Amino acid sequence: MNSVLEISPLTRVEGHGCINVLFAGTKVEKVSLSLYESPRFFEALLKGKSYSEVPEIICRICSLCSTVHRICSLLAIEKALDLRVSEQARLYRELILYGGHIQSHALHLFCLVLPDCFDVAGLSGLADKAPQELKRWLQIKAAGNLIQETVGGRTIHPVTLIPGGMGKPVNREGLLKLKESLQRVLPETRQAYELFRSFLPNGDKLATPRYVSVRPEGAAPFLGDSLTMGNGETIPVDSYKNLLREQMAGTGNAKTILVKDEPATVGALARLNLGMPLTPMAATAFEESRMLLTNADIRANNLAQAVELILAVERSLEIVDILLKADFTREEPAGIVPKKSRGSAAVEAPRGVLIHSYSFDGRGICRGADIVTPTVINQAAMERDLLALATHMEGADDEELTDALERLVRAYDPCISCAVHVLRI
Amino acid sequence: MKKPIIAIAGLTACSGCQLTLLNCEEELPEIAQRFIIDYFPLGLTERLITGPIDVAIVEGAVSTPSDLEILMKLRNSCRCLVALGTCALWGGIAAMKNQESRKDLAGTVYGSAADELKTFNPQPLHRFVKIDFAITGCPPEKGELLATLAALLRGTFPVFPRYPVCSECRSRENLCLLIERNEMCLGPLIQAGCNARCPAVGIRCEGCRGPVTEANVAAEMELFLKKGFPRDEIVSRMQRFYPEWNYEQRS
Repeated sequence: MNSVLEISPLTRVEGHGCINVLFAGTKVEKVSLSLYESPRFFEALLKGKSYSEVPEIICRICSLCSTVHRICSLLAIEKALDLRVSEQARLYRELILYGGHIQSHALHLFCLVLPDCFDVAGLSGLADKAPQELKRWLQIKAAGNLIQETVGGRTIHPVTLIPGGMGKPVNREGLLKLKESLQRVLPETRQAYELFRSFLPNGDKLATPRYVSVRPEGAAPFLGDSLTMGNGETIPVDSYKNLLREQMAGTGNAKTILVKDEPATVGALARLNLGMPLTPMAATAFEESRMLLTNADIRANNLAQAVELILAVERSLEIVDILLKADFTREEPAGIVPKKSRGSAAVEAPRGVLIHSYSFDGRGICRGADIVTPTVINQAAMERDLLALATHMEGADDEELTDALERLVRAYDPCISCAVHVLRI
Repeated sequence: MKKPIIAIAGLTACSGCQLTLLNCEEELPEIAQRFIIDYFPLGLTERLITGPIDVAIVEGAVSTPSDLEILMKLRNSCRCLVALGTCALWGGIAAMKNQESRKDLAGTVYGSAADELKTFNPQPLHRFVKIDFAITGCPPEKGELLATLAALLRGTFPVFPRYPVCSECRSRENLCLLIERNEMCLGPLIQAGCNARCPAVGIRCEGCRGPVTEANVAAEMELFLKKGFPRDEIVSRMQRFYPEWNYEQRS
């Protein structure tokens, strides 16, 4: 007899999704993951809008990743319009990017995953069971948000980042405050890493992922102009469509992507495996956990995110120091002359490779937009792993299976708001 | 005192309003202890809305049958319903092209697969249910959200400013981007409460908090036209968060 286990809605993940496990007798026949977030048609909303409006609109795709969407959008626009931004704007953008990573990883690890580690249902349970830890770790999240607030003018949907430059720079007092807050939380990031190291899951290994990431250039680990798969193979961002093949999924409103006919995995674990440059404390942490992280399946992703928390705080401190020393004054953004053009850019979002691609007409009006988000890239691998896990667990009761499948989804840290906005094929 | 039972849900939106709550890092542990959080899929493993609920806080516009189902369930099991953020109150960013055909918009993004999507024009909550209180903003201000939660503990709602962003901007002595820089700043029309965040860092007001009561829309329109902005560009900018401006309105 056939039966279905429906897990709906998925909890402690961003956005709306559900899992259906289809059984034939006791055998698992199929597992489907639907991302059924209400479609907002962002690419269609952008059509007909001026290039200057595009970053302000597109960052609303998702609140957890609003900063990185905004930056990716600026980079694509500036590539299309041949704009070069000043060293000051470049540094501030890099800094706020880390702010976004810190806030997003901290939210995921401490608000969404930590309840699993302490076996409670949510924040109230954590506040009862581990009040001191929760308070301390929320300070890490607050430090990320302080960067976003100070540099971006607003914590969610930052306002100062504009094509060709930026609004007001942060004054000395603001930078010193950032430095103090980052220095205070740096030891906490190490503690958090140790905690997540102690919670690594046991059980059968899942498939070894095919990692994909942006190939970092220079010291900035999340920025670059090409994508890499690790075996020396790289591909320029402009040709991303040759690597990432899209198909509309059978269920839900998101599309799935395959790389060379295989599911790909992006995110913190992929970045660490593909040789992202690390800061000293992050490098030590990675070295200590090399065995746990190298060629690991996705369940090690939360630990990888904890390593990246250390990295993002350390690297932010480096940049704050550079900014303090440089003592920049306010600049006018670069003058912009619209032209018929096209531009694509990739940035490592907290959840992995993010691509924005736009075309503009001679007046700088957006005529086409394509957004590829990490959760869409990860979806095929998520489904593959869910099926494998459900099959391993045949015979388990519904509650146990529900719990395990949800934890696996959380390891991927999906962001479903972003996921449903993918472009025309 | 009895702890208020609350539910927090997101409909068609970016989760930014719910994230605003989670961004109250300092206050979050106390909030978790002073309220009973009954339903909050983003932060709690609980899939059912069972009720009774004292206050349901809802983010997002309504654009699918499932949005509507969640909204109705919450309204039927709560005493007070709070619309959280611009999408819930005004329709928000996803509603900016509500004048265009939903089918065409869907087709642009999903091609022929669009036919299977079950979706309608994003609408604010009050089109479907009675709302008891609203916190505007994309995203909402943390302070206004915390003030609301604090007031709820006392069994009431706070009072928010009913004047435009311009008032706050002037009192901060910012450079006027509209008059002195000829930028398309929407400050005169938009609900205050953000302390003129954007103009304070040199960026024009994009109108994310929706219309202030008695906005003089017609006068602002005339001013923009006189400054040489084309009408379609003005309308496009104004509709970013609220598609239903009355351009003839003179307060």
